[in-house]
Amino acid sequence: MNQIAQLGADIAKLWSRYASSYLSGVRNTLVLALVATIIGCIIGFICGVLNTIPHAKTDNPIKRFILALIRVIVRVYVEVFRGTPMVLQAVFVYYGLPYFTGGAMQFKNVWLAAILVVSINTGAYMAETVRGGILSIDPGQTEGAKAIGMNHFQTMLHVILPQALRNIMPQIGNNFIINVKDTSVMFIISFTDFFAAHRGAVGATYLYFPSATIEMAGYLCMTLIASFLLRRWEKKLDGDDSYALATSDQLATTSGMMNHPGKGSNFDERNLEYTEGGDR
Amino acid sequence: MGEKILQVNHLSKSFGANVVLRDIDFTVSQGDVTTIIGASGSGKSTLLRCINLLETPTSGEILFHDRSVTGKGVKASAYRTKVGMVFQSFNLFDNMTVLENCMVGQTKVLRKNKEEARENAMKYLEKVGMAPYINARPRQLSGGQKQRVAIARALAMEPELLLFDEPTSALDPEMVGEVLSVMRDLAREGMTMIVVTHEMAFARDVSNHVVFMSEGVICEEGTPEAVFEHPQQVRTQEFLSRFLNG
Repeated sequence: MNQIAQLGADIAKLWSRYASSYLSGVRNTLVLALVATIIGCIIGFICGVLNTIPHAKTDNPIKRFILALIRVIVRVYVEVFRGTPMVLQAVFVYYGLPYFTGGAMQFKNVWLAAILVVSINTGAYMAETVRGGILSIDPGQTEGAKAIGMNHFQTMLHVILPQALRNIMPQIGNNFIINVKDTSVMFIISFTDFFAAHRGAVGATYLYFPSATIEMAGYLCMTLIASFLLRRWEKKLDGDDSYALATSDQLATTSGMMNHPGKGSNFDERNLEYTEGGDR
Repeated sequence: MGEKILQVNHLSKSFGANVVLRDIDFTVSQGDVTTIIGASGSGKSTLLRCINLLETPTSGEILFHDRSVTGKGVKASAYRTKVGMVFQSFNLFDNMTVLENCMVGQTKVLRKNKEEARENAMKYLEKVGMAPYINARPRQLSGGQKQRVAIARALAMEPELLLFDEPTSALDPEMVGEVLSVMRDLAREGMTMIVVTHEMAFARDVSNHVVFMSEGVICEEGTPEAVFEHPQQVRTQEFLSRFLNG
């Protein structure tokens, strides 16, 4: 009981002194995770689309070569950035630029480096997720789009990707939550996220456990709110379960689940062909 | 009959070593309603898919208004705006409402403005009796309703030729009629159609040209009377007797 009271007192002490540091950490973490996830998704979608451009043996050699080259580049990108730790990628990129340019160029803003690293990392994972999402869509959707004259780009943009996006929403949510937590490694390039606030606070006070408790609660709050919002968004993408019937008939039902056998049009259910026996 | 629209010359298609179509020849004129009948696996659907270039023919050519669409440098997408297709499994866009399904091709491919596209879509949805359902999504509709929307979607592109790939085969028996009656109406209004079907009554009563396929070749073709009343080939006779008595 004593310890809990002590913990409460320590947390209060930390909070009174470092609240603004913790809060700006939360803000930085969320902004970085959100921006990087969005850019990462865009990278992932571009890679996914490039990877699924149809190619046939009958295409001309130049087109086939370019498509093959694109696939190799995307593959290398995915394997390299998925296969190395993000903390190392941060060091690699942040210190690599001045190293290679002899100090002429460097990241003036740590934000830029952090967003770049996390986006590229997320993009590598998303590329495979998007590819899976595209493959999961029934080929009939592509045929339907082609049959009304859409080209590959239009088919992707209007028909396949919106559906793929819905299917990979849970994975996008995963990536966002992973990013909220994993941006903590960006302290290595002195990015001041939520975890960096912890390092600052304990460096002066040595209150490791109380500060870690604040951090645990803070991260959990962020991820729980994120899960909740993502689920709301998924529901919204699914659209309403019911729909409004567009009819000028004042007596007709104005909304409904599925079709109503007694309503609708003269082709419904009790149509001529069926009642007259037809050919079945 | 009217002007010649589509001509298929010596069309063959094989998937690897498996020859599905062998040396197919046939012609469709303006206003023709051609039905293609035959047992499952006889190549009917493949022929239709070749005509819409969803499958690339192995050899032979397809002429649309006397111009080859199978040669090099032909934009398949431009050709497909003039040749609509209705699928066995509907293939409505699941991410759009009924109205959006009928508008997207007009706005994105034909580049019509929204108002015009909407008006046009409503016209055809009205025609197939689906106007009250414009706000519904495909998953909320029955099979027959979906197929009627799919027909409206194809019609909204105002194609010169409409292909039907077994449009009623995936439907419950009580929904077949509503789709067939829409197709009958279209035929009556002079729409040029090629219909792959197992609905013999439809083939006999509505079409003016019947093609019987067997094992990848056109076994017999002619007017409905000729094919149904006086079939010349043994295989046609066997097929029809199985269908009409079974």
